[in-house]
Amino acid sequence: MKRWFAGFAVTLAACTAVLLLPPSAAAQTPAAAYTPPRTREGQPDLQGLWQVLNTAAWDLQDHGATLGVPAGHGVVEGNDIPYKPEALAKKQENFKNRQQLDPENRCILPGVPRITYMPYPFRIVQQADKVVILHEYSRIIRYVYMNGNPHPEGPIDWFMGDSRGRWEGNSLVVDVIHFNEETWFDRAGNYHSDALHLVERFTPTGPDHMLYEVTIEDPKVFTRPWKISMPLYRRQEKDVELLEYECGAYLLKQEWAKPDSPYFNTR
Amino acid sequence: MRRWLLAALAVVGGVVVILPVTGRAAGGDPPQAFFRPDTPKFPQARTWVAQKAKLPPYKAPRTPDGVPDLQGNWNGPVGGGNDDLEEHEYVDVTTPPQESYVSDPADGKVPYTPWALAKRNEIRAGLARGWPGETGQRLYSDPSSLCLNGMPRLAFGGQEIIQRPAQVILLTANTYRVIPTDGRPHMSPDAKFYFGNSRGRWEGETLVVDITGINGETWIDSAGNFYGPNTHMVERLTRVEPNTIDYVITIEDPTIYTRPWTMTYPKRRTGTGAGANAGAIPNAVAAAGAARAADPYAKEVWENTCLEGNHDNVVLLKKLGFKWFDAVTPPK
Repeated sequence: MKRWFAGFAVTLAACTAVLLLPPSAAAQTPAAAYTPPRTREGQPDLQGLWQVLNTAAWDLQDHGATLGVPAGHGVVEGNDIPYKPEALAKKQENFKNRQQLDPENRCILPGVPRITYMPYPFRIVQQADKVVILHEYSRIIRYVYMNGNPHPEGPIDWFMGDSRGRWEGNSLVVDVIHFNEETWFDRAGNYHSDALHLVERFTPTGPDHMLYEVTIEDPKVFTRPWKISMPLYRRQEKDVELLEYECGAYLLKQEWAKPDSPYFNTR
Repeated sequence: MRRWLLAALAVVGGVVVILPVTGRAAGGDPPQAFFRPDTPKFPQARTWVAQKAKLPPYKAPRTPDGVPDLQGNWNGPVGGGNDDLEEHEYVDVTTPPQESYVSDPADGKVPYTPWALAKRNEIRAGLARGWPGETGQRLYSDPSSLCLNGMPRLAFGGQEIIQRPAQVILLTANTYRVIPTDGRPHMSPDAKFYFGNSRGRWEGETLVVDITGINGETWIDSAGNFYGPNTHMVERLTRVEPNTIDYVITIEDPTIYTRPWTMTYPKRRTGTGAGANAGAIPNAVAAAGAARAADPYAKEVWENTCLEGNHDNVVLLKKLGFKWFDAVTPPK
């Protein structure tokens, strides 16, 4: 009787523990459910043409629709971005003045992780010592080095940061530092400082799906690390390929034709 | 695309000299050096055509997919860069004497129709870079000084080539091409791109890349040699030695040229043979080479920017009155 009860209690506790796990925690360990094919070097094979299918490019958080902006569920875990009070004020200013301030409107390198969830496809190419991410947007290349070199010594201020990768099980884990303060996270004015530190995880969850998770840390702007996650979808169209979005070329051509374009005012 | 920086702007006696200076040596054009007037003439197509005629037959190793293996890091042409693709003597510190990149026609000249030659000469006379024969008017600035780039200029630089089943990937420091080799057709010619629409196929030892859908909004060099929205290009890449790819590009457009014409140069495997500009600044190149050998990051490609740091130069070019270069089509 006593032994039976003890066994029951343990089982009950285990069940309760499973039930109490948040759904996102279950989503973090899909490797058990799916084993991706391997490359010739024996790495999990993430190669191919991928794209998000969400509205994170407009706003990382829950948002309603406005003209030209589709409504969307947020991609932030818990939906709250833990800004410090003064940083929240700046985010709100950014939002108010986003037409003038959003760096995307100047066609500069859009930063990480923003480049990943902009509405353009990207191709992943794996080699033994690096993963190359080719983005259709402005033909940007992200080199994720896995050659044993640590992050180079700073200070370095790069738009796209310095990316160093490693394999954890079936996940590609990328540590990114050495950012500048020129880029945002989305069109809603969410921003960071040059102290930004990202840990990205690309985890295959099926032949045509990956989970993309990013832990975002920036002690100058946020009170604690926070996390976004979203699925990546393998593009299915026959003959799909990366085409071209030469943002800077289109922008300059447009502004050159305007008699009094503010673009040519010295900043 | 991002590599060209208008890094130096000097106003001397009313003549504005705009010197594009490149960064790391992997993309679009080779790194820029400053050349003395006594620099010997750089060899290009004429010399390379004679050299390759003497090479013994070579069969490249195969990839696991059974096609010739072109993978690795390859340099662009040795020399002064593509300031002027036709043969010329010393012009200024960035334009040393150089043979033509053109192997056909044999005279090394782009076979323009009369109106197109007049257009090229008009563009050249309006560059306002202090070259002989200029009118003093400012017409167009080299599109690459506005961070625009396209074919074929991108192919005249260093590249890493990666092959995957049914595709060839060309990486430069900051841009790329992905060339499908699965036999798919071209997109509609109405879909225009700076880089065009590339389709590859293997013919024996050679990767043949057929390019259509080019928008014609950039130049072939920095001196106004141009193509147009109807131009068709065919590239041929053949490994003719273990460490050499013979690069050949044929350009065809009956609306601009009297006949198809061809440029060629050898792509040497990075780290073998002479490096770009080695003839101009041997000591500097040697010193950089020694430092790079000891640097564990030497083989990495770090962030390259163009537009990001070019705003002041773009503003200046606009204020100086340079016009936007639109694709050129024949007069009606």
